[in-house]
Amino acid sequence: MQVQFGLETEIGITREQGGEIDVVAESIALVRSATAPGVRQRWDYRREDPHQDARGFRVAELRQDTDEANYFAQDASRPLSFSEIKSDLVLRNGARFYNDHAHPEYCTPECSTLEELVEQDASGDALLTGCAQAIGAQSGNAVLLYKNNTDFRGHSYGCHENYLLPRALPWADLADGMQAFLVTRQVFCGAGKYGREEEDRFVGAGFQLAQRSDFFTELQSVDTMQRRPLVNTRDEPHADPRKYRRFHVIIGDANLSPFATYLKVGSTALVLQALANGAPRERIPRLADPLAALPAISRDLSWKWPVRTAGGRTLGAVDVQRAYLELVREFAPPADAAWARLVTDWDEVLRDLERDPLSTADRLDWAAKYRLIEQFREGEGIAADDPWLRSLDLSYHLLDPAAGLFYGLRDSGAFRLPFPAASIYGLALRPPLTTRAALRGGCIEKFGGDVESAQWDGVVLRDGRLRIELDLGDVFTPDLVAAGRAVLAAARRPGELLSLPFAKTL
Amino acid sequence: MPDPIQKPRVVPPSPGGGGGDGPKEPKVERPNTDELMKRMRKVDPEQAKRYRQRTGQ
Repeated sequence: MQVQFGLETEIGITREQGGEIDVVAESIALVRSATAPGVRQRWDYRREDPHQDARGFRVAELRQDTDEANYFAQDASRPLSFSEIKSDLVLRNGARFYNDHAHPEYCTPECSTLEELVEQDASGDALLTGCAQAIGAQSGNAVLLYKNNTDFRGHSYGCHENYLLPRALPWADLADGMQAFLVTRQVFCGAGKYGREEEDRFVGAGFQLAQRSDFFTELQSVDTMQRRPLVNTRDEPHADPRKYRRFHVIIGDANLSPFATYLKVGSTALVLQALANGAPRERIPRLADPLAALPAISRDLSWKWPVRTAGGRTLGAVDVQRAYLELVREFAPPADAAWARLVTDWDEVLRDLERDPLSTADRLDWAAKYRLIEQFREGEGIAADDPWLRSLDLSYHLLDPAAGLFYGLRDSGAFRLPFPAASIYGLALRPPLTTRAALRGGCIEKFGGDVESAQWDGVVLRDGRLRIELDLGDVFTPDLVAAGRAVLAAARRPGELLSLPFAKTL
Repeated sequence: MPDPIQKPRVVPPSPGGGGGDGPKEPKVERPNTDELMKRMRKVDPEQAKRYRQRTGQ
């Protein structure tokens, strides 16, 4: 099977004026302000279980359960129900937009091509920006949204990636095989950060490659909010668990540059495909101390990024990436021209990182941010430890085309795009046509008023006294998706969807 | 067991730091950053000090 993928991005939120704000209230208000076509508060939470561990057991509690219980207790004083606090909106493109405790979160629908993924991610940025602009105009106090991963006080929030894989790939092979890749890929998918942090604490000034690399202390675990692991073991496939697993990557930064998003997800998907296709264990790179290597690479200002391998050699992080690239070439040959181009672009970035790291500033967030802010710093005579640099760092991530530094660079022509701008920034909230998201999104577009509940792996609709479930837990082949789209297009009412092989009455 | 990571061959640099076969925007070696510098001067130096979030996932 071909790997499918999606992103889930938590966004930082504050206001331009005023002192301390209630970030939960702001996040709820932002999500509830969305007017994009979709169905609200019909997400089916019963189908979620973040306690199941891919290593074959179920944990009694997550480390964050106590914190979450405290948050729920605080939220209980709000005049809103649980459902209203979450304010889930399932959009017509099959995406999910909701308040995840204290952050607006946009989850792309499932994608099978990188062009779809980059477009869906950009659509989320536009949706968020539109909500902020509307509330700001109404209140006279701008809402500032940051697509980043830290507040420089040791509070991190995530941009998670999800990859659907065959269950037949043993967990141990998967986790072991991905470790060195995830630690070293920050050389091209880090978003850059002016500062060093620990959990709940700012440590000091200084530039590093990745926003998230200060926050990982475990090799593997099911947790995501405390003592975060390099490899997350959450076993929640959102698909038939007998046939599939979802590899949940929590280590990545949120990227603004579409090229960085394209490289991050594309390279990760191909490495996973190579593992699924039987890349031999003895050829997988291994690091002597992955947890130490993660911040060491991120903070290495020589930009040689040396790492110690399990075999005792010292190599550059780029060499480790190149070893994975060779495995991909051998065990996951490109399925089409688009994937072949990803391999070429990955190779080229690795060469450029070795030759002249800042030559990648036309593609990579960390290099673009560094070059821009250092140019400004030198011109203005700002000290290397001036807190202003953190404000400029934040501004790179501001989701506001008129003020955000990323957008300023983009609009000056500084970035290469992996696909035509019209494709990336079409902003139509249209679903990917190649995955089950087309069916979820199609139901919402066509029968939104009849949707009783929705989840990644299913939609329940009402038609009079009928309750119809579309079980999307095994709808991953192009033929099945196409058949579903054809029936959905012809259906005049939800009951007519019962001709689908994965539909049934409840 | 031999170390699976081999030092790569030396490859020539890519012209202009770019390449590949796909569609691209026009390549700009050094963007005009005058407008950006103005934008950056407007960034409140205290903004990050005021910024506080809850830990997320």
